[in-house]
Amino acid sequence: MLENGKIGGRQFTVLVFMYTTGSSLLLAPSLLTSSAKQDAWLAAIFGVGVGLLLAYLYQTLGNLYPNMTLVEYSEEILGKWIGKAVSLLFFTFIFFLAAFVLRNIGDFITTQIMPETPIQTIHILFLIVVMVGARLGIEPLARSAEILFPWFLVLFLLLVIFVSPQMELQKIQPVLEEGMAPVMKASLPFISFPFLELIIFLMILPYVNRSKEAGKSFLTGTWMGGVVIIVLTTLAILILGTDLTTRNLYPSYALAKKINIGDFIQRIEAIVAGMWFISIFFKLTICFYASTLSLAQILKLKEYRILVFPLGLILLALSLVISPNIVYTITVTPNAWAIPSGLTYGLFLPLLLLGVATVRRIRSANKR
Amino acid sequence: MWASVGIMVIVIIIMIIEVPPLLKKRLKKELWVFGILLLLGAGLNIAEGLHIDIPNPLDGIAIIYRLISYNIFGL
Repeated sequence: MLENGKIGGRQFTVLVFMYTTGSSLLLAPSLLTSSAKQDAWLAAIFGVGVGLLLAYLYQTLGNLYPNMTLVEYSEEILGKWIGKAVSLLFFTFIFFLAAFVLRNIGDFITTQIMPETPIQTIHILFLIVVMVGARLGIEPLARSAEILFPWFLVLFLLLVIFVSPQMELQKIQPVLEEGMAPVMKASLPFISFPFLELIIFLMILPYVNRSKEAGKSFLTGTWMGGVVIIVLTTLAILILGTDLTTRNLYPSYALAKKINIGDFIQRIEAIVAGMWFISIFFKLTICFYASTLSLAQILKLKEYRILVFPLGLILLALSLVISPNIVYTITVTPNAWAIPSGLTYGLFLPLLLLGVATVRRIRSANKR
Repeated sequence: MWASVGIMVIVIIIMIIEVPPLLKKRLKKELWVFGILLLLGAGLNIAEGLHIDIPNPLDGIAIIYRLISYNIFGL
């Protein structure tokens, strides 16, 4: 075993929750509203439903080999070389994902908070914390997630309470003006965005104590994270309206700028930024940790920690190369990379592994 | 220019931290993987620092996916 740590079921729930809310907290509302318009909240609910099904699929696959990670059992299921090739592709997927998440942080800070700071500085500063987290391993990471979880909830509730007086119900009417088709279309990027990426947790699932409960905590974390996004999307439409939500890159952040308590407490949007930094730190660290762990397992190294600094350097360069500017990130990458590769690794790969494993089990049962 | 010097300094610091324990444990394969990845990372970052155009790997992946979806699903 490369990783000796063990995490509890509740800690795993919190990690899944943080991962699901992660970058979607800020980005999902505008993705959803862009084609579903005022019905984006329906699209969000539908997306979370599909996400729960996906989480169920992942935990079914994980329970077949409760003591192995995805990389280890893909070699077991598909044979040595095909398994290694598939795992290497999977590694590139999570590594690119980590680069995108890092780029999201840089883009957000340079466009919204510190426009004159070079993006490299922000990436380096954030990456240092992430590398420390990945070096420490899964156990301290899960514990820190457990500590920061109540803070996240407090900030979230503060946001909801402070903006709720400005809700206007007529902004979500008419419901289902154009039927279900745009709703379905809008939920596809949302499904691929946090939920197909949950496949990464198959790298962490074997380190959860009492693997029977692990599946349940996986599902709990998924729906909790989903509810946060549903609430934020609904609030964004109810308060900002469809048009502003679509135009804004970060609607949840724009939402918090609307907070106004007695004309005295205003512009406390940093609470949303704070929530986002907490959750995206865990998303990025989990991505980075899973990619170092998977590469170490593919190459059968005895130690994954030595890969942290070299991969961190590569990640830094990749996060700058991967997209020339923020417009490319928002318009090109979802259709060119995020959705197709999400479907490949998040849906096709687990179904393939599950299918081959089942066939193999039936065959070996017949032989006896 | 200064970026490359900074990256070299960082690489040397990383090597000082990571290499001695590996040598002590005589983990040869780990040392090779570490070295190759560190070289790749340093090279990419220096190229980035000198504003040399690095091709975006996503463009390649996007082309592959477009071919697949065009040929199989006819989209």
